[in-house]
Amino acid sequence: MSDHDELRNLLIDFFGLSSAVQNEELSQSSLPAWDSLAMVQLIGELQSTFGVEFDLDQIQALRSYSEIRECLSRKGVNLAG
Amino acid sequence: MHWWIRDFPARQREAISEAITTGSLAKVRRALRLIQELAVEQQGPPLTVELLSTYNLEPILPVLELGLKCLPTCPKVELAPLNDLEGHIVRSVPRRADEASARIVLWRIEEILPGVLFPLSSGFPEQLTAQVDEAISRAEGIVHLHQRHAPGTPLFLSTAPFPLHFANPVFAAQHSSGPLGAVERFNRHVRELAATHQSVYVLDVCAWAAALGKSYSDSLFDLMARQPLTPEGQMAFALFLARSLRPLIFPRRKVLAVDLDNTLWGGVVGEDGIAGLQLGHDFPGNVHLRIQRELLELRNRGALLVLLSKNNEADARLAFDSLPDMLLKWDDFAVRKVNWEHKHENLRAASRELGLGLDSFVFLDDSDYEREQMRQLIPEIQILNESGDALQILRALWETDAFDSLAISDEDRMRHRDYSVRAARDVQGHENDLQAFLESLEMEVAIEQVNPSNLERVATMLGKTNQFNLTTRRHSRAEVQQLASQPGSVALALRLRDKFGDQGIVAVLLAQSGQNGQASLTIDTFLVSCRALGRGVEDALWAALIARAREQKVQKLEAIYIPTPKNTIVAELYDRLGLRRVEGSSSGTRYVLEPVAPATWPAWISNKNGNE
Repeated sequence: MSDHDELRNLLIDFFGLSSAVQNEELSQSSLPAWDSLAMVQLIGELQSTFGVEFDLDQIQALRSYSEIRECLSRKGVNLAG
Repeated sequence: MHWWIRDFPARQREAISEAITTGSLAKVRRALRLIQELAVEQQGPPLTVELLSTYNLEPILPVLELGLKCLPTCPKVELAPLNDLEGHIVRSVPRRADEASARIVLWRIEEILPGVLFPLSSGFPEQLTAQVDEAISRAEGIVHLHQRHAPGTPLFLSTAPFPLHFANPVFAAQHSSGPLGAVERFNRHVRELAATHQSVYVLDVCAWAAALGKSYSDSLFDLMARQPLTPEGQMAFALFLARSLRPLIFPRRKVLAVDLDNTLWGGVVGEDGIAGLQLGHDFPGNVHLRIQRELLELRNRGALLVLLSKNNEADARLAFDSLPDMLLKWDDFAVRKVNWEHKHENLRAASRELGLGLDSFVFLDDSDYEREQMRQLIPEIQILNESGDALQILRALWETDAFDSLAISDEDRMRHRDYSVRAARDVQGHENDLQAFLESLEMEVAIEQVNPSNLERVATMLGKTNQFNLTTRRHSRAEVQQLASQPGSVALALRLRDKFGDQGIVAVLLAQSGQNGQASLTIDTFLVSCRALGRGVEDALWAALIARAREQKVQKLEAIYIPTPKNTIVAELYDRLGLRRVEGSSSGTRYVLEPVAPATWPAWISNKNGNE
């Protein structure tokens, strides 16, 4: 867990969470605020922050920190942390 | 927007700017949190905004809220259930008359006329035309419901944007009941509704979206959540909405104070003469002509124009009377201040004469220096342009919201709600302010010998400087070179740098040794470019000359002021510098300085050459 984890910081800022949160808790199943409306905004935020575009299959598999991380790295985004 | 948020503390201002530039929701939330920390009276007046929409605005509420907070207002944003336009109006409780509020109806043909996206499956053309008629009746019905249930609350009806996501736009272009023609018919009707009903206005989302182009909308977000706006589009939409509501709360500015040279025409009348000015139907004179057209339009809309120019009034007057393409007339200006005073002093005088507060004024000037001085010395004033370029000035006139208004009657009715988040400012102590302003320019001067590398510029300045020019002697290059190389002569050029950048050589002083050997110096030429007036560079150059003369053991300095129709600005310069008048001559006023007492270098200008 690092301060330089840009994805983690983005999720914490986006959902207004405490910086003590565990990465495992950063998921649609543990965060009630992570509903379908939040999802739209989150995708916009991820796309503009990391300069990527997601296709439909990928969007349906962006339900947690680890899934997003996995997807971004497959797109060649170099994530620290 | 930067103008709206100027009174927020720096921390909030920076957070808002960052949120707006990035469009990031996290940054939007942070800016909202920081604004929330301010005292209520710092946040702006309350404003209730009710949003009724056929598309989903819920995800972008924080962004909309930030836009409204920038005005600044303390907004309460109420979002009606999706697509429940009529039901929400009927259920709503009337607002108190003194509550600033607005109801906004946002719709798209994707929801109100989905058939037009698929014309051939929807009974093109007759049945489709009937569907458009129905949508128009629905809009009419909404206006009537609103007037019955919420009379007095301003109602903003949006126009529908042209759909971006449909097939065969080539076919659609041909028919009045296709996807594009239907939008046009619907929108025309929205405008007619606004024109014929009290307190009903148009929110022209169609024009806004057209100006942003494809980048405002994303089909992914639209299909996922019926929220069509991209992150970039959301922020732009929020600011557009805020600007549209702003006239409900804040009165428009009443006066535009404009500069003359390089604004109403290209060139400087006092330097270039009337024949040298650019104004007309060819580029770039047409840019200045267009600026005049916009100013005249503004005047006809009810704003007052004030002329602020550093010029001899006779020169300016003559240009107004004799330039063939001059559109604005001398009398179009409610107040004219054409003289050599500081512009901020002239503006205060104009404010007193018109009986209008300084916060009713907008200032337009091509000079970075004048704008910066005005910004610092009269903080209430709104500076219209950020660049001196004529095209940028024209764009600033197109884009400004300073003179926005919806309609006179509503504005008058709501004006008492205007309230200022600014503390009363002390208008005393201008002299101290001026000193502080000059210091803030971070002026840095280098005194150079006139030499082959700057000779060209020096000769050009001798050839064209008319105003701050004591002798107006038009020496050729060769003559300047000859004078500079005489033993005992002093030939200095002053190079100025300030926080706006390198201004180049802006002042020249040439002096030659007198008949009685090197013990005396006679000033041949002393001039300052009109771009550098009022900043004290002449004092710096003078101090440099005196230092040089003292080094050379000069006992006596002689000078002459030769009056011309253009150089009255320096008629008393030598008196101010402490020279003594001696017998006049037919050609001008003669002065001497004997002995050559030390002169003070102006404290607000740093000397790159070291201790002069």
